[in-house]
Amino acid sequence: MFNITFYLRRLHSLVGLFMGAFLMVHIGNNSAVLLGPDMMNMVIGTMDKMPMFIRLPIELGLIAAPFGFHALYGVYIALQARNNPIRYGYLQNWQFTLQRWTAWYLLVFLIWHVYYLAIHTRITGIHLCFEFLQSYLSNPVYWVLYVLGMWAAIFHFTNGINTFCMTWGIAKGPRIQMVINMACMGLCGALCLETLALMLVYILPIF
Amino acid sequence: MALQKTVTFIIERQDSPTGKPYTQEFELPWRPALNVVAALMEIQKNPVTKDGKRVAPVVWECNCLEKVCGACMMVINGKAQQACCALVDKLKQPIHLAPARTFPVIRDLLIDRTVMFENLKRIQGWINVDGTWEVRIPPRQNPNTAATAYEISHCMTCGCCLEACPNVGPQSDFIGPSPIAQAYMYNINPLGEYDKANRLNALMAKGGITSCGNSGNCVKACPKGIKLTTYLAQINRDVNIQALKNIFDH
Repeated sequence: MFNITFYLRRLHSLVGLFMGAFLMVHIGNNSAVLLGPDMMNMVIGTMDKMPMFIRLPIELGLIAAPFGFHALYGVYIALQARNNPIRYGYLQNWQFTLQRWTAWYLLVFLIWHVYYLAIHTRITGIHLCFEFLQSYLSNPVYWVLYVLGMWAAIFHFTNGINTFCMTWGIAKGPRIQMVINMACMGLCGALCLETLALMLVYILPIF
Repeated sequence: MALQKTVTFIIERQDSPTGKPYTQEFELPWRPALNVVAALMEIQKNPVTKDGKRVAPVVWECNCLEKVCGACMMVINGKAQQACCALVDKLKQPIHLAPARTFPVIRDLLIDRTVMFENLKRIQGWINVDGTWEVRIPPRQNPNTAATAYEISHCMTCGCCLEACPNVGPQSDFIGPSPIAQAYMYNINPLGEYDKANRLNALMAKGGITSCGNSGNCVKACPKGIKLTTYLAQINRDVNIQALKNIFDH
């Protein structure tokens, strides 16, 4: 017997975890700004040194393709749910709902984010650097949307680790499920604070 | 003389399966230990709304009146529960009653529960004892798994977990928590385990266990305290192993 649904769902779950790893690297790179604009420019410069014939296949094959699959199949999954956190206001049900709300936001946010900062800048030849990002994020609307985008991605990923443990049958009993949930939410809070700090560097005269 | 204490119900009604829902308010005298089914019986005796209009009596289902048959499940103050053990004194007034719209509504609070029987058929919720073989003394139950099976056997297909689950409903083909726990119960039975692979394969198909979104509502809604999320995780484990078998056995 070969159940395509089963393998698609499990693949969706695995790809989510893989993209979470990418998110961690992305946050790690962005955090260079906490050490000052020069450090940030150095990190961007190092990435720019990678030749396009290596960089483009990585970006398309290891980032765009998994994202596309996760997003498209995710839309199908999200449409199967009728969120009911008002009637059943339990913590885990709120997390379930937020997992879907953050997904919708991320779908729009990531198209905008990737289009502008990865495609538009390359086409028009804008050189990505701290100073460019600083002027871009000086628009308070953009800044807020970017912070929300980061928080949405972080919640979606950390809560995803939590549900991954249930979906794969790793965490079975209620106690271990609660322990993993709290650990994931702790990680979520820590990463949210960290990204808030790095986003503040762009608008506050710290350096 | 002091005014008589009363209880107010706001009931969501619907005249036919395709009819438009509307609400009506009923007021009846309070009495000690009044529950929702008893209150509905009072309304049936005298179907007059709060503003004095005589209406058709409210239709609902009930049977055992002691929380073992599951028939009187409805949405009381927003939460799916058994009407027979919903004590009026423990509910916030006015008490809102609504049908469980996860299921097709037939009339008022009466729902079509056929899907739950179909679900049990889908997971092969039975033990094959009849066949061309000789019937012998059955193997002994492992006392440890028997305790788990006993817990799951309390399931009365009331549908509370299905109503509470955000992934079960007309918008989705998810089978829901209770039949998945039932599949586990039959899988740990010494005779039932012969058909374990069939049940797991049925649960790996579209709308099976993979549609679970881990909202955790089912375990909170279950009036029988069945540890549904635990058994869902266990079946998730079992289908992973079954998937490996499916790949490497064929």
